[in-house]
Amino acid sequence: MAEGLEVRELDSDGSSEELVLTPAQLLRSLEQAWLNEKFAPELLESKSEIVECVMEQLDHMESNLKRAKHGDLKVSIHRMEIERIRYVLSSYLRCRLVKIEKFFPHILEKEKSRAEGEPSILSPEEFAFAKEYMANTETYLKNVALKHMPPNLQKVDLLRLVPKPNLDSFVFLRVQERQENILVEPETDEQREYVIDLEEGSQHLIRYKTIAPLVASGAVQLI
Amino acid sequence: MDPAEAEFLAEKELVTVIPNFSLDRIYLIGGDLGPFNPGLPVEVPLWLAVNLKQRQKCRLIPPEWMDAEKLEEIRDQERKEDTFTPMPSPYYMELTKLLLNYASDSIPKADEIRTLVKDTWDTRIAKLRLSADSFVRQQEAHAKLDNLTLMEINTTGTFLTQALDHMYKLRTNLQPAESAQSQDF
Repeated sequence: MAEGLEVRELDSDGSSEELVLTPAQLLRSLEQAWLNEKFAPELLESKSEIVECVMEQLDHMESNLKRAKHGDLKVSIHRMEIERIRYVLSSYLRCRLVKIEKFFPHILEKEKSRAEGEPSILSPEEFAFAKEYMANTETYLKNVALKHMPPNLQKVDLLRLVPKPNLDSFVFLRVQERQENILVEPETDEQREYVIDLEEGSQHLIRYKTIAPLVASGAVQLI
Repeated sequence: MDPAEAEFLAEKELVTVIPNFSLDRIYLIGGDLGPFNPGLPVEVPLWLAVNLKQRQKCRLIPPEWMDAEKLEEIRDQERKEDTFTPMPSPYYMELTKLLLNYASDSIPKADEIRTLVKDTWDTRIAKLRLSADSFVRQQEAHAKLDNLTLMEINTTGTFLTQALDHMYKLRTNLQPAESAQSQDF
């Protein structure tokens, strides 16, 4: 058992080299990505490196545990940890799939207009899923209703049909890095816009649109 | 976020236990724990502490603030001030609930503590409702919520943000220019 764990330690150092993260930091960033994804109204950039690294860690641990003897207290503790991590991981991925199913035409449109070299917000698997979902929806609509319609009504524009993510919705956030001069737009015409500073560690309720770039850069954490 | 998920996050908090078994250091993905020696206090995450306790393998030491006198002070302070006072732990409600449910035998004055924390919670939620009400009335676009804990935000959060979104939609539809798009559906 001890030997097996030693191997894991070495490997985990090796695999996280490009990101320079310890496994503990890796888990923290997964958790942050999970919470941000949960609360953001739109689909955020895919954190596929984090997901892959965490999967690797889990696989290593699993294979180590297979070699350990059964009924050991240590093994059951490791198992519990694995279950907890797996919960966060699958909840994160599931949350992204729900958003893809909800906003698929807009996500695919964004993906099409994405400039060369700009990172995609979808992982390759998610992209395949979105495309398939789009194709299936179109076929379904066609088979069930559209083909029975008069010819001039047989087209359907999913981009206009499916609601866009509401970027104006309010979110709660905690500030990780101090930010200055955030412009707050007024709610009504009588009010005037004003500027606020976000102090590190403080918590706010604000429109998602105002702070969307800060969520992407990791300067604020949605809660 | 449902309360169960807030509790899930709270389970990462470290608490002190006194184990009655011995075990070498364990190397978890999230960090090392132990070594465990009978009778020697050791810090472990709450999820493990609760599990060990259920298997009767340890005694739990309540966190420092989980003390009737200290909590009484906190409650009085909370009642006196108009704003939210800082809480001893960002997960005070979840910790109290979990520890009292699973380890009430190792916490002195458990019932008193339960009432005190509940009183503090009620005071804070009442304040939160009041401030949410004035936030909506004054049609503010930004609010600062320092010292609120995750659980507190999530009890009113989903409802409040949804209500605000609906109100925003209704308001923007009054202004014709922006409503044009939604008329298409």
